[in-house]
Amino acid sequence: MKPSRDEPEERPPSPAERIAALRVRLDAERRPDVGGVLPFGVADLDVRLPGGGLGLGLLHEIAPEGAGDEASALGFVLALVARHLARAAGDALLVVAPGHPIPYGHGLVGLGLDPGRLLLLEAEADAAVFGALEDTLRAGQLAAVAGLVADGLPLKPGRRLQLAAGSFGTAPPLLLILRPFRAALPNGAATRWRIAAGGAARDRFGCTLRPRWRARLDRCRNGRPGDWLLEWDHAAHRFDLPDGLARRAPDACGGYAG
Amino acid sequence: MRAGATPDDGLPLVIAAAGAGGLRLTAVNPAAAALGLRRGEPLGRVRARLSTPPHVHPADPAADAAAFARLCLWAQRYTPSVVPFGPAEACDGLYLDVTGADHLMGGADKLVADLAARLARAGIPARIAVADTPGAAFALARHGREEMACVPSDETEQILRPLPVEALRCEPAVAVALKRLGLRRIGALLDAPRPPLARRFGEALLLRLDQATGRRPEPLSPISEPVRYGAARGFLDPVGSQEIVVATARRLMAEIAPRLEADGLGARGVRLSLHRVDDVVRALDLGLSEPSRCPDHVARLLQLRLERLGSGLDAGFGFETVRLDVAATGPMPGRQAALDTGPVPPGARIAGLADALRQRFGRPVIRLSPRASHVPERADRIAPWRTESRHTEPWRVERVVLHWPDPDAGIGPRPLVLFDRGEAAEDVIALVAEGPPRRFRWRSRLHRIAHAEGPERIAPEWWRETGIPRDYYVVECESGRRLWLYRDGPNLPERPAAWFVHGLFA
Repeated sequence: MKPSRDEPEERPPSPAERIAALRVRLDAERRPDVGGVLPFGVADLDVRLPGGGLGLGLLHEIAPEGAGDEASALGFVLALVARHLARAAGDALLVVAPGHPIPYGHGLVGLGLDPGRLLLLEAEADAAVFGALEDTLRAGQLAAVAGLVADGLPLKPGRRLQLAAGSFGTAPPLLLILRPFRAALPNGAATRWRIAAGGAARDRFGCTLRPRWRARLDRCRNGRPGDWLLEWDHAAHRFDLPDGLARRAPDACGGYAG
Repeated sequence: MRAGATPDDGLPLVIAAAGAGGLRLTAVNPAAAALGLRRGEPLGRVRARLSTPPHVHPADPAADAAAFARLCLWAQRYTPSVVPFGPAEACDGLYLDVTGADHLMGGADKLVADLAARLARAGIPARIAVADTPGAAFALARHGREEMACVPSDETEQILRPLPVEALRCEPAVAVALKRLGLRRIGALLDAPRPPLARRFGEALLLRLDQATGRRPEPLSPISEPVRYGAARGFLDPVGSQEIVVATARRLMAEIAPRLEADGLGARGVRLSLHRVDDVVRALDLGLSEPSRCPDHVARLLQLRLERLGSGLDAGFGFETVRLDVAATGPMPGRQAALDTGPVPPGARIAGLADALRQRFGRPVIRLSPRASHVPERADRIAPWRTESRHTEPWRVERVVLHWPDPDAGIGPRPLVLFDRGEAAEDVIALVAEGPPRRFRWRSRLHRIAHAEGPERIAPEWWRETGIPRDYYVVECESGRRLWLYRDGPNLPERPAAWFVHGLFA
């Protein structure tokens, strides 16, 4: 068919226009599928995540960097839960598989998480962890759910959890899975983190001020991976990058001491 | 009738309480009675009279009343109408109205024998009498010759005649006045002309006399039976399928719910008994985080439970009776239903979720709650998760509510993970004897310390045990991990201190 002569303006778009159109498309894709996000409050980190934070109603997998970093990874998970609980009403559920410790109440308070808002369930096995998480997500009554699994998160439970979490449109919960450092399995997680201890921030007298973690974003759907040295402020429920005046200089992209 | 607080070991033991003019004995055990001690005697006189004074216990009227109430409930095994003694009978005994109930035990004699044997086994000294009227039974039990008496129907008056006038439950002053007049026995009172007695002592004495002989009735108010909530359904054809069991339980709960509602209660625990045709009873207990009357909720929990049991619930040839009992109740004030569903309190919804998780996975949902202790491993505990019911039970005396201490308010840092016991750190090398280690081996890995903070000295609870104070250090390894380390006491040349890892920081 011959093109009509009434449309002489049919010309290729200029590079600027194309970039603008691509930006719009990219922004649309970057927005998480459901619900809102939990921003870290660290600009450098949030720009790399789609929508500017951890997507709520999406599955996030967190693992320790190496043997011995388990407590740090648990601390990172609970700090995320504490940050979400500080911003949203409701309680959180922590389902614990054998092999993971039950956190210490006073330590939770020290991380800024009120133990009265944390429900705990000791599961017999990973299957029970996934079952309990799925039931809880389907009940849709908690602000955050986190599972501590012993053998990693396989593909099928990951998909089921993702479906259960995404089935609630209005206020999807924060969904976190903490797995051991070895069991890296393919699954449908939106982000995958590896956490190592970062040495505490200290005041000028040498006293511990805040915990620090070396957080590496291994994989991020619609985002860019990266790594950071993150500091956790338990009173303000806020993550921070250590400032240059701290005793330990930040080496945000440096190597790992683990 | 009274139960001693300590076992009767043959030593004289008395119970004393404040009475007229100081402490007086309110109860004595047989050994003390053998020494000539009597109820009502001033304790001071007893101490002066005896060379070795008896062991004295303070009276505990509240515990006595509670034990007595329990005994009354227990006595309902013989008859539904059990009446504790009133103030006129000194509140220390009970009537059983066995009319129409004694044949169940094979007659009044056998009932008395059984009652006496059981009480004796429980260590409760008792005197028992069976008579036509409560008055006569009281008189015989108190003042009769035998410990156990069973009076035939037509001999009540003959039996009463030789008993003293105190047996009539009249006031002590009246009894004393009667004795002054020479009327010592009930028989004399029965023979005396009635009008002068009524003029002198009032109607009450004659009323007691007539009640004892049966000429006038004596109304008794039995204790009420404890309320039970339960319902059962029998099946002509035994049922075996899970759906029918659940549907039946739902219906039974719907039957019970109005009764619970009328009393302002909700079920906190429910027991479902399934009676199999071969006389095997399967019982399922459901605990609820929050009082509930909702049949659907109970049915759903039951469904989850049965699903978890799977074939563990052996239906055999089927169940012929399904019975639902409310095992525990909690107050549940009525809530007005709104037209729109409205905001359900989040606690109620989470309670439903917690119950469902518990039935499905067989483990209760727990939470951490603080404990009043400064010893780290005792400073928190695991408690079953429950909704805050403080406002619904205003009459209940709550224990002091503990709060988590503010982490910034003085106490040292606490780890995120605390081990139940410290794990030994080996090959500890420290620069100074009293200082933190430079390196140590723990879990077969060498840890080099880059930084240490401390010590924080934590002493054992002095009221619990004697122990060595621990010196806690927060140490940071070169890898950046932080551990909570303690030294078990001072490092002395004759006793080198041991080091333990007690927790991990985030």
